[in-house]
Amino acid sequence: MDLFLQLLVNGFINGSNYALLGIGFGLIFSTTGIVHFAYGSVYTFAAYVAWFLATSFGLALLPSMAGAIVAAVLLGVACYTLLYRPLELRRAPPLIPLIASLGLNIMLENLNAIIFGSGVRSANFASEVYFAGPVFFTSVHIWQVVSCIAVVAALVVFLRKTRYGRAILAMTDDPNMARVVGIDTKKVSYIVFALGSAISAVAATLTLMKDGASTHMGFIAVFMGFVAVIVGGVGSLRGVIAGGFLLGIVESLGLWKISTEWQSSIAFIVLFIMIMLRPQGLFSIARR
Amino acid sequence: MEYIYHIAVLFCLYGILTISFNLLVGFTGMFALSHAALYAIGAYTTAILATDFGIPFPLDMIASVLVAAVISAVIALPALRVTGHYLVIVSLALQIIVLQVILNWKSLTRGSDGISGVPSYNAFGFAITSPDRFLIVALIALAACYWFTHRLVRSPFGRGLRAMRENESAAQAVGLNILYMKLSTFAISAALAAVAGSLFARYFRYVGVDSFTINETIYVLAMVILGGMGNLRGSLVGAAILVALPELLKFVPLPVDIADKIRLILYGLVLMLILLVRPQGLLPEPRGRKAMLVSVEDESGPSDAGKLLDGEGGRQGGVVLQGSNLRKQFSGVTAIKDFSIALKRGQITGLLGPNGAGKTTAFNLLTGFLKPTDGVITLNGRSIADRKPHELVSAGVARSFQDLRLFTNMTVIENVIVALPDQSGRRWPNLFLHPARIRAEERANAARAMEILRFVELENKAHETAADLSYAEEKLLVVARLLATGAEVLLFDEPMSGLDQTTLADIFPVLRRLAEHGKVVCIIEHNLDVIKELCDEVYFLDEGRTMAVGTPDALMNDPELAERYFK
Amino acid sequence: MRKFLTAAIAAAAIFMAGPATAQEPPKDPEVFRFGAILAMSGKGDWYGKVMSRAVLLAVDEINARGGVDGIPLEAVIEDHKSGVAKEGVSAMTRLINISGVQAVLTSFSPPTQAIAPIADQQGILVLNGGGTSMALLGLTDMMFHNRTLASDLAIAAAMRAEELGLGNMAQLAWKNDAGESMIAAADPFWEKAGKSIVATEYMEIGAANIDTQVAKIRVSNPDWVALWTFSPETGLALKKLREFGVKVPLIGVEYTGDVKELAGASAEGYEYATDFFAPSAENPWSEQFAKAYRERYGEEPEFYAANYYENVYVLAEAIRRARAEGGAYWNGRKLAEVIRKSPTFPSVYAKEMTYQDNNVALKQVGVFRIENGEPTFQKFIDLNR
Repeated sequence: MDLFLQLLVNGFINGSNYALLGIGFGLIFSTTGIVHFAYGSVYTFAAYVAWFLATSFGLALLPSMAGAIVAAVLLGVACYTLLYRPLELRRAPPLIPLIASLGLNIMLENLNAIIFGSGVRSANFASEVYFAGPVFFTSVHIWQVVSCIAVVAALVVFLRKTRYGRAILAMTDDPNMARVVGIDTKKVSYIVFALGSAISAVAATLTLMKDGASTHMGFIAVFMGFVAVIVGGVGSLRGVIAGGFLLGIVESLGLWKISTEWQSSIAFIVLFIMIMLRPQGLFSIARR
Repeated sequence: MEYIYHIAVLFCLYGILTISFNLLVGFTGMFALSHAALYAIGAYTTAILATDFGIPFPLDMIASVLVAAVISAVIALPALRVTGHYLVIVSLALQIIVLQVILNWKSLTRGSDGISGVPSYNAFGFAITSPDRFLIVALIALAACYWFTHRLVRSPFGRGLRAMRENESAAQAVGLNILYMKLSTFAISAALAAVAGSLFARYFRYVGVDSFTINETIYVLAMVILGGMGNLRGSLVGAAILVALPELLKFVPLPVDIADKIRLILYGLVLMLILLVRPQGLLPEPRGRKAMLVSVEDESGPSDAGKLLDGEGGRQGGVVLQGSNLRKQFSGVTAIKDFSIALKRGQITGLLGPNGAGKTTAFNLLTGFLKPTDGVITLNGRSIADRKPHELVSAGVARSFQDLRLFTNMTVIENVIVALPDQSGRRWPNLFLHPARIRAEERANAARAMEILRFVELENKAHETAADLSYAEEKLLVVARLLATGAEVLLFDEPMSGLDQTTLADIFPVLRRLAEHGKVVCIIEHNLDVIKELCDEVYFLDEGRTMAVGTPDALMNDPELAERYFK
Repeated sequence: MRKFLTAAIAAAAIFMAGPATAQEPPKDPEVFRFGAILAMSGKGDWYGKVMSRAVLLAVDEINARGGVDGIPLEAVIEDHKSGVAKEGVSAMTRLINISGVQAVLTSFSPPTQAIAPIADQQGILVLNGGGTSMALLGLTDMMFHNRTLASDLAIAAAMRAEELGLGNMAQLAWKNDAGESMIAAADPFWEKAGKSIVATEYMEIGAANIDTQVAKIRVSNPDWVALWTFSPETGLALKKLREFGVKVPLIGVEYTGDVKELAGASAEGYEYATDFFAPSAENPWSEQFAKAYRERYGEEPEFYAANYYENVYVLAEAIRRARAEGGAYWNGRKLAEVIRKSPTFPSVYAKEMTYQDNNVALKQVGVFRIENGEPTFQKFIDLNR
């Protein structure tokens, strides 16, 4: 039972990370329709920038994270400007950006490795361990959950209360209609790339703190984010959050009685069953 | 030069993979990204059989092909319930699960060690161990796979795949068996991937999971998209470029410690640049006349299309399709509460009612697209409760859609040909068993299609892409496509809406002639003038119920209905 | 005693070879070009970096001293993208056909397994210093290993645990050939010692998140935890186990710069059994190598570096011996033959090493303990006990 509780808590903590990744990736995906695989490289880049700031300048967690956010936003917007935007202008079919994005990802991943050197990095921000009965967690874990809540809260306010936020929602619902009613879809695309990249930097800094950074951390991250989006239902914020947490908890609890040699498929077996039972995702856009 | 031969062998392997993957994603539009897993199954089957049981060629390859095809069909069954992004994710999940099973099934696959010492091919004591000798085998395999796939896609079966890719429900509505086509394509695509896998095992003589990761699927996908979706030659070009590019980059001198990373950066850059310059892929999908399977002359040949335009005979006015006390409930909402209808030979029946009255749902029930919650539907007195839409089409019930659902990227004549009945080329084994018969049928069908187009006066547009037609012409094509099914009962969902008077004047006689020829016609219509002009009997629906039945005049003179609806 | 034996065997081998046929003059190439197929990109690029650096260092050293009998060595570095068999084969084909090599240094198990048949057929000498799987043994006579098998290291680690009087073992292993071969070796050993195994957990290579494994190990209440992992996952494991409050001894098989970077203070007290490489006064060559490596790259050499550095010297020595026999000596088969004929070579570890019948060099395995962030030598482990 102790193990069960611990795994539940672990799953919840990992879930908050997946939810963050899913929110950032999903924001870009559901608004622009671009499957931005290079999101993983942006995420990696952010982690390394945070590491660089923390170790070379001795910055604390929040300033390092802020620096990582700036770097990620710049890189994310550059991705859109230099690759996706020209593809849109050339009316590329929907899957072409996906493949181009894979090319971009290969390029950025190796650039990261050349700039920052191979091998893993960790930044030892102050961390404490807490026990709640048999279950323990660390201050990093708390940071992770708190950041997830903070990002979600900020995003909800932004989406509901600001002009651009509402424009994003409109474009998520129907990009053509958004264009018809006079929304500047180009500007909105820039905003979601900036926002999505910023969120990736939050997740990246926390992962650096929790597990360390490597130049190859991006692929699995973007993959899990993608899965969270699909499980939750494309275009639904509630759905992505639920999808992320579900993924984290299932992945963790699934190994309660099963050998860890099945770790990488357990989440996918559940995902498979879930999609079979509920192909529209947990929270699909009900209007359709 | 062994090195060149080696690269050529790699090209052959990837050529086969790209062709087979293109069949799935390009021609059929199913983004199932589990291709590398099927490639792995092919490789492992051969490796295990050849190494542990000494099974010789070609039995090992046949076994690989069968195992992969069966596994693919089995996993396709559940996976096919979803489409679009869900299929992408489900298939990625399958990819990961299959590889993990291979990794953990140590007694069979030797787990993460992989299987080494796979025996090489041996022809009459002549060991095929070097790349140059193996290249001959690989080229033959590539040629065979190319030929097979080419045959498959340039055929009635392939035309069906393209139609299905454009619009699944419309494909069902012209009588195509979606499940059969999807399962076949999944299995065939897997079988071809398994050929590549089997060759892999025999060439590298080592099989381990490292060679079959998601990255491999992505690599092959990049080849397909780069070369051009739906173009087989494009697949070969895509494979050639992406196999050769990294090798060519090896000859760029670079500082040792970061050389291979820079090469990957260049690889990514080149891939992006090609896509920016050619966003549609290098070679486009064959369209228009190029997509036709027979020459233009055949289209003007003699035709028996007249038969398709005739009913099966029998008493005019006899009930053919009947629905009794139908009810349809969606989670919580009852779309149809109580609806009965009898469609009679030689008559045009109208379905009238406000938006949301349940008219289209009624059509969906009558044509098998939806199953009624309650009630009985009979065709010539026999229940058709469990029939699928495509089965109903061959039984004689076909429908059109309010939103047209043309196969917009296909030509006008293809839109008609694909709907013609009794095409033995829709079943792919026939393509290889009876090629002559298929060709003869194709020629006849081209002529029949042309005659139907003449009937609706679209013959001059036969080779234009459906997307380029005017709205009125699209509507005519919808009629032509429906006629081509040869069905006895024709259900038109708003065939007249949005048409001007002159076009209406064109279509009216067409429908009337059909009824005179003994067909059963039913139309959904809002325009009272059209109803009055055309229909023998009208059903008035509201809120899922039949409110009134009668001749158009009787209904419109009904004071209550007139008060509520006909102002 | 051992030295005497080796000498005797060497002498016997020369004797057995019989009276040499009339000595032909050696046919010299302009340069001795050899290949190195390493992880130059991908998840394991750290290994590629370390290994390639060591290879280039050794080549430059040898050439600075005039090459081998006046003929220079040249290394061609190729990439197998961190263990992809197909890439290894492409690299091997390129090396043979374009660079015209007679010898190849290799790493990682899958590409090494895949190039074995080519080496066997084309007669290319293969020197492995990184791949540690049992599956590499017996593939071809052309392949020699100067790295102790992972399974032996695992047994050494388990012996250490036994010595320390530890009971219940929990294992955390890489989900790959190396990890599984260590479990396969350690399980029977530990059970034979009459002790129990309370948890066996696997982790993916490149996995960042092992919270589940650590939680399961923690509740199994082990007396020690065996880490059947290599860099950098060992570092992650150390960090997580300590962070999650696992206080029992941790014993593994490796400690590298990456492990140090990741584990930080959590590595304190960690012990590991490894091929014994530490620069020592006992072997001046080791100190000289460490110094040269440090000067050139600004880092301490890892034992991976030592293995590949040593392999280049093994190759040079084999060439020298083959050349002495004259004829068309620059040939992989010939080189493999001279290595088998007299399998003892100078070693950058403990003065010298000898390839056993299974083509694996027998090296001393030592136990180290991390004290104040630095590995401290504890003792040698006698695997033949």
